[in-house]
Amino acid sequence: MSNSNGEGKVYVGNLDESAERARELLIKGLKLDKIIDWGTTFSLWPIDLTTSCCGCEFAATWGPRFDAERYGALPWLSPRQTNLIVIEGTITKKMACALRVSWEQMPNPKFAIAMGTCALDGGLFYNSYNIVRPWQIIPVDVYVPGCPPRPEALARAIVELQRIVKKGEASKTILRGMARSKPTPKLKEDPCSWWWG
Amino acid sequence: MSSTDKLKDFSEKLKENLGDLAKKVEIHKGFILVEVELDKFKEAAKKLKDMGFDHVKSLTVVDRIKDGVFEVGYHVSSYLNKELAKYVVELVTNVPRDKPQVPSLVDVWPSAEFQEREAYEGFGITFEGHPDLRPLLLAPPVAELKPMRKEFVVKEEGIYRELPKKEETQASSKRSG
Repeated sequence: MSNSNGEGKVYVGNLDESAERARELLIKGLKLDKIIDWGTTFSLWPIDLTTSCCGCEFAATWGPRFDAERYGALPWLSPRQTNLIVIEGTITKKMACALRVSWEQMPNPKFAIAMGTCALDGGLFYNSYNIVRPWQIIPVDVYVPGCPPRPEALARAIVELQRIVKKGEASKTILRGMARSKPTPKLKEDPCSWWWG
Repeated sequence: MSSTDKLKDFSEKLKENLGDLAKKVEIHKGFILVEVELDKFKEAAKKLKDMGFDHVKSLTVVDRIKDGVFEVGYHVSSYLNKELAKYVVELVTNVPRDKPQVPSLVDVWPSAEFQEREAYEGFGITFEGHPDLRPLLLAPPVAELKPMRKEFVVKEEGIYRELPKKEETQASSKRSG
């Protein structure tokens, strides 16, 4: 899969080729931001915010059958050590507080995937009194529709996110100090106001 | 002795035990309904507790907006008494909608504590004497809306259109024919 430019390519599966490409990158003395982007692409650590049934598909994605680890992503435990948050399912008004707090705890560069219809626009609970849309709380990079989406769809979303990161999304924030291409949404009201009292 | 006879016998026994407290005792499908006046509610609960009903299985509230009342019902049964464990008794009282105050039964049955909190957040019914009355699942600003009441209408409701009248008449004539 490697060519002389290496532009717009995502490296999947073949470890030998990836290692060769990595050696090339180092020997040719490429710019630091390219190395950061390349490194972040293959070290996405998703933390799962399992609020409903999409958690089963999330688990299956990293199970033996679909094995999304081969794309360079592995679920991790603490939001303070991860760079990707996968929102699985409905976000209630109480959970919105937890979502925003975990998002702000995550170190830069960070990304978000919204998985399932509920995370897109409410889904089944579209007119419930107790839900918020995740895009009102944090900036979402990739949306995965479906109720629930297939594990392949989530794996595809990770490959899609890798394309975004490869374009310079990671180095932009941590090296150049620029803003994300998707701005953080301005909150209409503090989702944690009930908690602070 | 068939099961219906057993139920009848048991409801008779309940009537004897409760005496004047019970407004009516009815056999329903799966449970026996005991309706009580609001001021005798706690007294009746204590009587049932003395009989051997030791826990609350569920607490239901029905918003009967046309009658202007909330119907508060406690489903009680027993773990320890094997004879009573076969029956479920629903202790029901009607509370006026404009003054929703019910005596709390936590000191009679401690297992009612969380369920009373849930009724409080959904309907805004105050349980007097509850040790820790605050919303259970909802955030306090949402609980203030009293979202389970009939008068609470969700924002985006009304996206379904009614059927055209022509089709309606056709369907009804088919049914009658």
